[in-house]
Amino acid sequence: MKQLLTSIRRTPFQSLAVFSSLILTLFLSLLLIFCINFLYGLLGYVESRPQVTIYFQNEVSEASILNVKGDLEKSGKVESVKYMSKNDAYSLYKQLNKDNPLLLEMVTPDVLPASLEIFAKKPAYLPEIATYLNGVTGKDEVNFQKNVVDKLLSLTSVVRTMSLAFFVFLMLTTIIILMTITHFKVALKKEEIELLRLMGASMRYVRKPFMDQSLFLGFISSTVVYLVFGGILFLIYPSVQGYLSGIQSLFVEIGPYQLTVWPLSFFYAGGLYILLTGFGMGIAGLATYFATRKYLTIQRS
Amino acid sequence: MIQFENVTKLYPLGVAALDDVSFTIERNEFTFLVGTSGAGKTTILNLILGYLYPNSGTVIVNDVDISNKKCKGIEDLRKHIGVVFQDFKILQDKDVFENIALGLHIQKLSIKKIKEQVREVLALVGLEGRDQYFPVQLSAGELQRVAIARALCGDRQIILADEPTGNLDPKTTWDIMKIFKKVEEYKTIIIATHNTDVVNSMKKRVIVLKKGKLIKDMKKGGYEL
Repeated sequence: MKQLLTSIRRTPFQSLAVFSSLILTLFLSLLLIFCINFLYGLLGYVESRPQVTIYFQNEVSEASILNVKGDLEKSGKVESVKYMSKNDAYSLYKQLNKDNPLLLEMVTPDVLPASLEIFAKKPAYLPEIATYLNGVTGKDEVNFQKNVVDKLLSLTSVVRTMSLAFFVFLMLTTIIILMTITHFKVALKKEEIELLRLMGASMRYVRKPFMDQSLFLGFISSTVVYLVFGGILFLIYPSVQGYLSGIQSLFVEIGPYQLTVWPLSFFYAGGLYILLTGFGMGIAGLATYFATRKYLTIQRS
Repeated sequence: MIQFENVTKLYPLGVAALDDVSFTIERNEFTFLVGTSGAGKTTILNLILGYLYPNSGTVIVNDVDISNKKCKGIEDLRKHIGVVFQDFKILQDKDVFENIALGLHIQKLSIKKIKEQVREVLALVGLEGRDQYFPVQLSAGELQRVAIARALCGDRQIILADEPTGNLDPKTTWDIMKIFKKVEEYKTIIIATHNTDVVNSMKKRVIVLKKGKLIKDMKKGGYEL
């Protein structure tokens, strides 16, 4: 560790350049990963809400509504169908407005329509279900959330594609910058490296101090980025929470695991840190490996 | 043991640095390589070090055939060879101790062993108490002693010296040669030199080279061209 710190101290500008490049790349990468996860969480939330709701006219009997419910369930395209009678709707209304007696006085169970809340198995089934419901006798209104889902889907897809391209560009740029800086460092230590090779040092031995330094800077910069990002999230937490009013939490599914993206769960935050540190150390190590492989190899002539 | 068998080394454009050279240097033998500039002295040292490989012929060092370009084990072989240069090649940003310990770190010795060995070798070259000095604080003769100390450290059996006294005054030259004499019984020493006085006085084996050819090999010879 002492040698490592001495080495960093003896090449302060190169170390600072590596540190700055890594900070920028890691911060933007973390921001992208977090945004994509957040959007996926939001998409998952919207998809888990009642996707199609049909409201019936007052004269439609409960038996007819239950017939429609039965038909939908038999179609195999719906996850579940929830029947909400006038009385259920009224109970819900009362619960939601229990603090406002004036509103409660104005509404009776007759005013509120009976409805069916339909959750489709896949968003792709939504148009078909909506078409069927529009043809149901006694329908008052069909609320269809496909547009919202479609917009969110396309937004997520665009963000993901753009992020991937940006991410690859950032990674390549950083690797090139780090390779160039390592080249400077190798050039500065040319005499020592030649001497070490003459005395029988292996390529691995000569490369080790460069690798140690890069991995150390990768670790430090990812930790700094993580702490700064955490601080920013802490600052914007109240405004995001206000924007997401009514949404308790957002999840993303990674394989069999469900991680809470918002509010930040311990596992998600920990996972992000491990991912970021791994990426930071990986990118720094990879660039140094390539640079040393290119500039340290001495061919026998 | 170092063995050259019909070694030819061509440099680009077909210039022969060595032309069909054969000799054997036994363990703990003290040998001078003499010849004019471009005779092939440094090429022989570079071939022993594995920096170069021959175009034809065989180079065997410590029972390892290093004639093939892709031969393995060069790094291990170099751990048993100490090298001394005319320009010392002492690292300016490291003190005497760090410069000497460089080769010992490669051999992965413990810090305790490294300190012991550096102390011993500093006593051998007459630089006791100078381990914390930086190169700018030392004279040319002292720098060459540091280089020799570095070459001797870590049980390096073969010592190659390329014009080790080329930059030194006569008195310092003799001081340096005395150090080589101290270790000649247990080291194989090969010195490439132009120094007539040193070669004539030491009465050691002399290999004379001319335009890449071995023209004389004398057991207790003098400087002849």
